[in-house]
Amino acid sequence: MKIMQLLMILGLNLISTELAYADYDAGKAKAEVCAACHGADGNSQITIYPKLAGQYKNYLIHTLNSYKSGSRKNAIMNGFAAGLSDQDIEDLSEYFSKQDGLKVLPMK
Amino acid sequence: MKSMNKLLAATFIILFASYAFADEIHPGKIKSETCTGCHAIPGYNNVYPTYKVPKLAGQHSDYIVSALKAYRSKDRNHKTMHANAIGLSDQDINDIAKYFELLK
Repeated sequence: MKIMQLLMILGLNLISTELAYADYDAGKAKAEVCAACHGADGNSQITIYPKLAGQYKNYLIHTLNSYKSGSRKNAIMNGFAAGLSDQDIEDLSEYFSKQDGLKVLPMK
Repeated sequence: MKSMNKLLAATFIILFASYAFADEIHPGKIKSETCTGCHAIPGYNNVYPTYKVPKLAGQHSDYIVSALKAYRSKDRNHKTMHANAIGLSDQDINDIAKYFELLK
């Protein structure tokens, strides 16, 4: 019986993860703050700031959460990320990951 | 005879130039072979926590340099990246970063 309950909880968790809804247009609007350094589409012109365009969505989510929690330290990004909700992070990561930019390294 | 010399000289210059450029392998390409084990595999996952290892081709070299130096000094925490960055000199880091920036 305990196992059944556990499985049900796991199942519900999976479903809720699936339902996390990323809003591209909301992400585009929220990304206006980021544009000053990272470029409107995430292809930054200032080379000390990383390009975000085309980056994996869940890497961007991980990064923003790390800045938000302070486990990754950067004076500028800790400040911005502190004010972001989970939904904001989801939307921003959706938007930047869908832009044309970064690629996986070639094998050879 | 003079024109023959010129022709010979031109031939050697062209041969030398093509040799020099064709066989020149970017030092960053050689030094970044280890990186490809994770960063050249589409969708490759980091675990605990799970997220895809970042795409690096086309990234700014200035940013790659700061990221690798932060991993090396442990200002940025990641066990595997620290283990890989600890053995890199500043020159290695610059070469790798320049090479990644060139890739599109």
